[in-house]
Amino acid sequence: MAGSAIAERPASRIATAAILVTAFFVGAVLMGFEMLGSRYLFPYFGGGIGTWAGLISTVLAALTIGYFIGGALVDRHPTPRLIAVASALAALYLAAVPATADPVMSFILDQFGDGPTGILLAASALLLIPLSFLGTFSPVAIRLLLRSMHQSGRIAGMVYGVATIGNIFGTLFTTFWLIPTIGSRAITYVDAGVLAVSAIVMWLLPNPADDA
Amino acid sequence: MTLERPALDGPGVAGPVSARNIMRFVSLLARLGPACLAGLIGFLTPLQGHAQARTLVESAESLYNNIYVYREGNVFAMTFGYNRTIYTESLYNSLDDRDLPVVYTRYMTASLLYAKNVKSVLEIGFGGGRESWYLHRFLPEASITSVELDPKVVELAKKYFGIKDEPNFNVVNRDGRLFLQQSKDKYDLILIDAYRGPFVPFHLLTKEFYELVKAHLAEGGVVAQNVEPSTMLFDSAVKTIHSVFPQQDFYLGEGNVVTIAYDGPPRSPDDLAKSASDRDASLKLRYSLSQMLQQRRRLPPEGGTGTIDPNAKILTDDFAPVESLKAIESHNRKWPDPQ
Repeated sequence: MAGSAIAERPASRIATAAILVTAFFVGAVLMGFEMLGSRYLFPYFGGGIGTWAGLISTVLAALTIGYFIGGALVDRHPTPRLIAVASALAALYLAAVPATADPVMSFILDQFGDGPTGILLAASALLLIPLSFLGTFSPVAIRLLLRSMHQSGRIAGMVYGVATIGNIFGTLFTTFWLIPTIGSRAITYVDAGVLAVSAIVMWLLPNPADDA
Repeated sequence: MTLERPALDGPGVAGPVSARNIMRFVSLLARLGPACLAGLIGFLTPLQGHAQARTLVESAESLYNNIYVYREGNVFAMTFGYNRTIYTESLYNSLDDRDLPVVYTRYMTASLLYAKNVKSVLEIGFGGGRESWYLHRFLPEASITSVELDPKVVELAKKYFGIKDEPNFNVVNRDGRLFLQQSKDKYDLILIDAYRGPFVPFHLLTKEFYELVKAHLAEGGVVAQNVEPSTMLFDSAVKTIHSVFPQQDFYLGEGNVVTIAYDGPPRSPDDLAKSASDRDASLKLRYSLSQMLQQRRRLPPEGGTGTIDPNAKILTDDFAPVESLKAIESHNRKWPDPQ
């Protein structure tokens, strides 16, 4: 792969736009799926504050894993296909959730009870793997769009800003629109579909790191 | 237990038209400090038309609620504050622990006349513990278990609402659904009253939940549920319960509706009347089951009088938009006459 040197020329507009739009949708799915996590967990682990603590900490753990791994990988392989692969794997995982969630939640509840161990295991089974894949997005996107140290602050700020707007949209749209109109399982398939489309776009995108 | 409206509109208190706004103000001031509140109550007393002032006894911020315990004469009120409105969860007459000041809680005990046996009772949503304590006092031999999510609520009920540790009376600190999921016991009566102020936990209103409830009913057992009728959530809740329990009777209690549901064929009016008078005689209940039975209402078959919206959807673990259904007000609900 090319791109060991960072050129001064900015990344192409199409590549930049595609990566930022993907940042928005990946961010939206990430937080939307966290909200959905409550619908999967509450029937088994109760609607208490402990369940929310389990969900939130698991999402943050997934992001932590994704940031470290994504950052390390993109330095070796600076290509949008990293995002494509991560999104595709997350989409596959989400697509498997509706059919498997109930037996998995029952099993964890029966084996580990409803204390912090059970809640964290259940939240991890649901969220940790797909959201770790999605967590790789931001460091990869920043590395792909970065052309010079002079822009590094602006590029990092833009990627995080757009992804966070996506987080906000995903939280609100899932909670106030999707949950009242279609069921949790259907929303999960919608999320998987959005990630699959993102994966295809990122796979086909000319590599902005090759512009150098 | 929740009365889904401000405390001053509650039973036994003659609320003026502006009670809601005043209560919001009081609630706001309660956060500013008891000193302000005391001053305000002095000012409000004439408006309330009450000789006795309402004083804040204790407030607590728990994991789930902002809880305020008020005292007015010999009546204690447990209230949850949300959005500057105070929601009364429970009223307790400290001079008489068999009094049920809140009307719908009396109708919850109408379940006694339906059940084949009354040896074991499960309540989901303890609150101030009035219903379960009433049942415990009149059925001391029955095993009563009440499940409450908020440990602070249990603590305050024991402190101010006359709840004591006694044999056959157990309060379990746990989510109601989780309790059922892990319990292997069966019950003759299951009472469900698990609202938190304005909030309704969706996982206690779905078909899957009621199937779990049904699996924990002993033979001839019944379910009683408090449902707040002013929104579309009522229609969905009733349909959901009906999808699991073919028989459903209704009792209207000032602002809340109690529905009693059971499996199997419908009980004849004569059969119910006999059961009510037998239990009245043997249990010597404060609130007569025979009198309550006269207020029994049945819903006509689907598409009838407009009591229940025919388009209402059954709630499931997959699809249970309780918040948005609760936002749709449903006025002019027409109830059939008692039969």
